[in-house]
Amino acid sequence: MNEEEALNDNNGNTPLPSDDLQAIVEQFNASHWRELELEFHGTKLFLSKNSGASPEWIATRAASVPQSLVAPAAQAAPVAASPSQSGPNLSEGQVVVNAPSLGTFYRSPKPGAAPFAQIGDLVESETELCLIEVMKLFTTLRAGVKGRLVDILVEDGVMVEHDQPLFVIAVDG
Amino acid sequence: MTNLYSLSLSMADPASRQPRLFVANRGEIALRIIRAAHAIGVETVLGVSSADKDSAAAREAGRSVVLGPAASRDSYLNANLVVHAAISTGCTLLHPGYGFLSERADFAELCAAEGLVFIGPRPETVRAVGDKISAKAVAESAKVPLTPGSGKLESVEHALQVAEEIGYPVITKASAGGGGRGMIVAYDAEDLRRAFDEASTTAREAFGDDTLYLEAYVERARHLEVQLFGDGEGRTVHFGERDCSIQRRYQKMIEEAPAAILSDELRAGLRTAAIDLLASIDYRNAGTVEFLYDELRQKFYFMEVNARIQVEHPVSEQISAHDLIKLQLGLAMGTMTLPEQATIGLNGHAIEARILAEDPERNFMPCPGTITRWVPATGPGVRVDSAVQEGSTVPPYYDSMVAKLIVTGASREQAIDRLSAALRRFEVRGIATNIPLLQAIVDHPDYRANAISTKWLEDVLLPAFQTERPA
Repeated sequence: MNEEEALNDNNGNTPLPSDDLQAIVEQFNASHWRELELEFHGTKLFLSKNSGASPEWIATRAASVPQSLVAPAAQAAPVAASPSQSGPNLSEGQVVVNAPSLGTFYRSPKPGAAPFAQIGDLVESETELCLIEVMKLFTTLRAGVKGRLVDILVEDGVMVEHDQPLFVIAVDG
Repeated sequence: MTNLYSLSLSMADPASRQPRLFVANRGEIALRIIRAAHAIGVETVLGVSSADKDSAAAREAGRSVVLGPAASRDSYLNANLVVHAAISTGCTLLHPGYGFLSERADFAELCAAEGLVFIGPRPETVRAVGDKISAKAVAESAKVPLTPGSGKLESVEHALQVAEEIGYPVITKASAGGGGRGMIVAYDAEDLRRAFDEASTTAREAFGDDTLYLEAYVERARHLEVQLFGDGEGRTVHFGERDCSIQRRYQKMIEEAPAAILSDELRAGLRTAAIDLLASIDYRNAGTVEFLYDELRQKFYFMEVNARIQVEHPVSEQISAHDLIKLQLGLAMGTMTLPEQATIGLNGHAIEARILAEDPERNFMPCPGTITRWVPATGPGVRVDSAVQEGSTVPPYYDSMVAKLIVTGASREQAIDRLSAALRRFEVRGIATNIPLLQAIVDHPDYRANAISTKWLEDVLLPAFQTERPA
């Protein structure tokens, strides 16, 4: 998805309940609107269908998001995973990293090269985990969370579907 | 930097595989295509969005794969995702259905480049007829009549002369503009003198340019279209015409075949014009040529070509006893040949009513939700094409059509009787539908008398319907 979402919980106020948030996102997706900016009890929500768009108030945070270091020839913007806590046989403190779209799953930057990550590796939020390829357009998937990689759920080179679980990470702390 | 991963895609040889069809659509047409494919021994793979994972089409397909999230842009409309999914799942053919990617020339090209047989016309045909101006040029060179009109008008005398040639009524239009400004209908020469001055002034004020042109004004218009198939080498056959004049905001609501308004002579002329147009471009597979029929002048004018199967194709199937989806597949695979025109018999009368999850009593607000009760009509001559059932959820992201109710009778009268009875028996709860409006249409004396036009639903029926049923 191209939507950039950013939540900024100021002043310790209660953020929007996640059900409401989901409803807003779904309505936005279904609408013809390109951008939506909402402020609600100190919670700011910015939704955009324009890739790379961000409001002024988020600029300071965006600056700290690491940029991709090495980009293959036809590489799309890297995708930070939004690890999910529901998934196949997860233990306490584990999260799953899902595929952002259908595509071919590659564990290494090119054939024969070492994989991005192995089971047991410590990963940071920006650590690259795999490539998802759609018609020769490669998207780098990043861990999105700090922890230890405990499982890789799919074989190298297979087609994965949107939202398919790919990695299990035991979260730090 | 070259990435060697791109090589892996070309390793499998499409010719060595069993035919396997990728269905790049959703809802009733996806299900319809899947069933037709299975009936002739073709395996199917369906690409779905996350919102359609549990759909009836996903259950019946040989395999379904989730392309992306609910938004069409990131799933059904993403050409790269769709083609990647089709190749990765070993498909050799792709059916685009209607809507979504079905009339995108670049998508048809991408399929061809990746060795997928796109079930439809060649990409260059899609491009040639997809653009209104080039489509008109194609029609003109095939000698298919266009709406009569003038070039730029030099003076009011010039306008009067053109109007004499075309015949009244005529409508003025501003060369520079749109949005209805500068458009005035004139019924005689005196009207036209007045209209010319007024339209020139309006155009000058609105667009800074007072250039006008003139067109025949169609006061009572019908939307007629001819269902065609081509073999890609110049042979084209028709499966009769349809009358789709019951429309709201250019959306068809009821379609029927044949068009009862036409005399035998006009009917033959309409069909021949449509065949001439598509034959002139060596049209391949299913297509429709749409015409505006001027009931007062008794003339038809080319509107556009739909280079795909259409929502309302079942009415043509009902009167021709041909399965048009199977024919699409068979022609694309080379297992069927185009039937001879003389073998395509057309009998009886068929009507299709589109059942939408929209509330006509609340300004056609879409009503997605869960269907708690679903009892589609059954009976002689009744067919329902649908992908929903009791417990189904109608997602809010897509078109609101939930079913097509198609009835067939020996005559138009019998078909209308059957449609009226079927609508009364059709029970849907949990979501609001337009069934009450459809009922009001088919029970209206104007509809029975076939005294309707493309404006009838909005100008005559809806005001009365909404007064009777205050929101």
